[in-house]
Amino acid sequence: MAGIKAKAKLKNGTVKVKVLIKNPMMTYDQAKKKTGSRDNADFITHLSATLNGETVFDMSTSQFLSKNPIFKFEFKGIGAKGDKVQLLAMSNKGKAYKGKAKVR
Amino acid sequence: MERRKFLSMALGVVALAAIPASVRAEDFRKSKPTVWTTKNVYKDPKTPAGPTEEGVLAAVKELFGSNEITYSDVKLKAPDVASNGGAVPVDFSTNKDIKTIALLQNVNPEAAVLVLDTNKYSVNKYSIKLKMKMSGTIYIVAQGTDGKLYGAKKTLDVALGGCEG
Repeated sequence: MAGIKAKAKLKNGTVKVKVLIKNPMMTYDQAKKKTGSRDNADFITHLSATLNGETVFDMSTSQFLSKNPIFKFEFKGIGAKGDKVQLLAMSNKGKAYKGKAKVR
Repeated sequence: MERRKFLSMALGVVALAAIPASVRAEDFRKSKPTVWTTKNVYKDPKTPAGPTEEGVLAAVKELFGSNEITYSDVKLKAPDVASNGGAVPVDFSTNKDIKTIALLQNVNPEAAVLVLDTNKYSVNKYSIKLKMKMSGTIYIVAQGTDGKLYGAKKTLDVALGGCEG
């Protein structure tokens, strides 16, 4: 199953977001060792979060994150309880992972 | 080659200036592809053992155009000994006004791990987990709005390497 699990919590004006992406994070080295081909590498290359159409988080990543990587980040000045944080991640294979979290 | 590099950089600057900073979300994998392929340099390339700083500095140069890093104003928290190299928890934060913050290490085949593009809502406090092949050093490099590079680094022991799965 591919997807994103996320939680967002508002405290003292700051929204704390915790994101888990289900992805094997297979590096080129691992792919070659396990499947014999570098091309089977599968990892997240980009993760972004938006809230009410505004980008609040934007990250480009490489293969060296842990398997099923967890990210924590914070933002302030935007977001109220009940708002939804939309998350979108792309893998190197062009596959999109989507998720959302309601600000609590 | 030099000329081509210069031209593409100039184009990038023009493109960035044309878009307001608030909506700019840069995909560093597309705009700076060389960062991600910059290899780490080892003292002994056969084993490979004895990680050096060269690969990291080269990647930083590809990313920011300079590698003069001031090691201050950035906080980096990582364990002294990581029992599992497959998931080394790293927390980093800064109070500086920054544009971009990057995480690198010197033990995996390539140096760059992630590049974050900050925005006006960002509280520059992040927490992630990364893979490390063996004992080495983690670097955080942030580019301030003043264009200078601030950084932090931490050397840690990895008991069980994480990249071989």
